[in-house]
Amino acid sequence: MAGTLALTKAELSRLMHNRRYFIFTVAFPVILYLLIGRQVNAQAYGIAFGAYYMISMATFGAFSGALNGNAQRIAQEKKEGWIRQLRLTPLPANAYVVTKILVSLATTVPSIVIVLLLGRFYGNVHLPAWQWPVIAVTVWFGSTIFAALAVAIGYRFAPEQVQPITLIIYFIFAILGGLWFPLSGFLGKVGSFTPTYEAVKIGADVIGGIAVPAGLAIGLVVWLGIFAALATVAVRSTAESV
Amino acid sequence: MTSIELRSVSRWYGNVVAVNDVTMSIEPGVTGLLGPNGAGKSTSLDMLLALRKPTSGRIRMFGDDPYHGVKSGRVGAMLQSGGLMPEVTVRELVELVTKLHPNPEPVATTLKRAGITQFADQRVDRLSGGQTQRVRFALAICGKSELIVLDEPTAAMDVETRRLFWNSMKEEVAAGRTLLFATHYLEEADQAADRILVINRGRLLADGTPAEIKARAGARRLSFRLDRVDEPFLLGLPGLVNLEVRHDVVQIQSSDSDATLYAVLDAGYRPSEIEVTSLGLEQAFLAITAEDNATNGHSAGETN
Repeated sequence: MAGTLALTKAELSRLMHNRRYFIFTVAFPVILYLLIGRQVNAQAYGIAFGAYYMISMATFGAFSGALNGNAQRIAQEKKEGWIRQLRLTPLPANAYVVTKILVSLATTVPSIVIVLLLGRFYGNVHLPAWQWPVIAVTVWFGSTIFAALAVAIGYRFAPEQVQPITLIIYFIFAILGGLWFPLSGFLGKVGSFTPTYEAVKIGADVIGGIAVPAGLAIGLVVWLGIFAALATVAVRSTAESV
Repeated sequence: MTSIELRSVSRWYGNVVAVNDVTMSIEPGVTGLLGPNGAGKSTSLDMLLALRKPTSGRIRMFGDDPYHGVKSGRVGAMLQSGGLMPEVTVRELVELVTKLHPNPEPVATTLKRAGITQFADQRVDRLSGGQTQRVRFALAICGKSELIVLDEPTAAMDVETRRLFWNSMKEEVAAGRTLLFATHYLEEADQAADRILVINRGRLLADGTPAEIKARAGARRLSFRLDRVDEPFLLGLPGLVNLEVRHDVVQIQSSDSDATLYAVLDAGYRPSEIEVTSLGLEQAFLAITAEDNATNGHSAGETN
C-alpha cells in the first residue's frame, strides 16, 4: 500500500510538470458551457437547460480526462519499458493499474469543481446544498468507468494507435450520451444505454426531484464491470510483452 | 548460499528455442553472462527475474520462486528493455524506487554511487543516453538488494564512465552480494567477472573463471618454423586445441602452451622463431562459439 501511494504521489507530481491534460479536462467543457450553457427558459431532461448542461460538461470533462491522457500514457509507458521496470521492484503486481485509476480520480476533480462553480455563478443554477455533492460524486465515480477503459486500451494498443481509438470513443460517448446536446428519437434510445447518458440522467433526476431509476445506477455498474473485465484481460494477456 | 538456480530451463517462442535446457547456478560474487546478440541472454534474465515463464524446467531465487524474490526486494535489476518514468526529475524517480524497497540505501548515497548527483534535478526525459543508463543503474542499486542483475550495464557509457561504473560495482559486491551481468563486451567480462558463463544459441557452452574459459579454448597461440613437419605427431601434442601448418610455419592454439612446447623439444625437434602470444578472452570466446556453430549448425533462435 505504501508503494502504491508513493507511485501515486510521483504520478501527481508528473502532472504538475505537464499541464496539457487541463485542455481536455477543464478548458473544453468550460468553453462549451460559456458558449451554450446559459439559455433562459430552455429545458432538458425535465430541468433547466443550464443545470443539465452543467452536469453534462462536468461529465464530459471528467470522462475525457480519465480516458484520453491515461490511455496514451499507459501505452507510452508500456512501450518505453517503465511498466517493466516497475515489475522488477517490490511494488505489488496490480499497483500500477490501481495507481492509474487513483490518479485519474484526482485529475478529474478540478474539472468537476470548476464546471459546477461555473454552473452556480454563471449559469445561475440554484440547488439545495445536498445535491451538489451528490452530482459531483456521481460524475466522479462515473469517470472510473473510463479510467478502466483507458487501462484496457493502453495495454492493448501501441501509442500511435491509441490517439485515434480514444478520440473515436470520446466522440461516440459524448454525442450518443447527449453531453453536447440532448438527443431524441432513435439515437436518443440507443444513447440511453451509454454510461455518459446514465451519469447525466442520474444528476438530472436528482435535481428534478424524481426518484432515480435503479436501471441507471445498475447501468453504470455494468459498464464499469465490462471495462474492468476488458482491462483485466488486456493486462493479463500482455504480461509477457510488457 | 546459491542466489539463483536454473535446472533444465528451456524457453520456446513458437517453434524457435531461445533458451535450450540450461542448468546453472549463480553464487555470490560477480558473474558475467557472455554471449553474442540473440544468444538467449535477455530471455534468461527475463525468466530469472520472473518477467517470463520458462516453457520447461525450474528456476529458484534464494531457494524460492523468483517472483517472491523480486517482490520481497531482494533483487535490484536493470534491463535493456526497462524504461524510466518520464516528466519527473532524476531525484524524484530515484526517491520513488527507493521507497518501494524495504531496506534501501539513502537516496544521496545512490545518487553519488551512480554518479548522477550533478544532474539529479534535471528531468528524466531530457537526459543523454549515457546519463539515462546511469539513472537506470541507480534504480538497480538503490534498494541495497542482495542480488543485482544488470543487462549490458555499460552500453552507451564512455570509457571513463565505464571505469567509474565498475569501481562502484566492486564496492557493491564487496559486501557479500551477488552481481550477475550480461554483456557482449568480452574485455569487460574478463576484467570484472569472477566467473563467466558463455551462452550461445540458447545453450550454456562454458562455465568457469576467465582463465579457465581461455584455457578451454586454447588461450595461447604458439608458432614456430620447422623444416621437417610431422603432422600426426603435432596433432598428438598435449594441450593442442587447433593446428595450422603452412609450408614450414606451424601455428598451434593451445590450452597449455608450455607443455606443448616442451613436448616438441623433448621429441628432439629444434624449431626456430618461436612465438607465444596470449589470445585473450575474445578469441577464446570466438573459438568456443565457432566450435559450437560448426558442430550444431546454424539454425536456432534470433530472439534476444
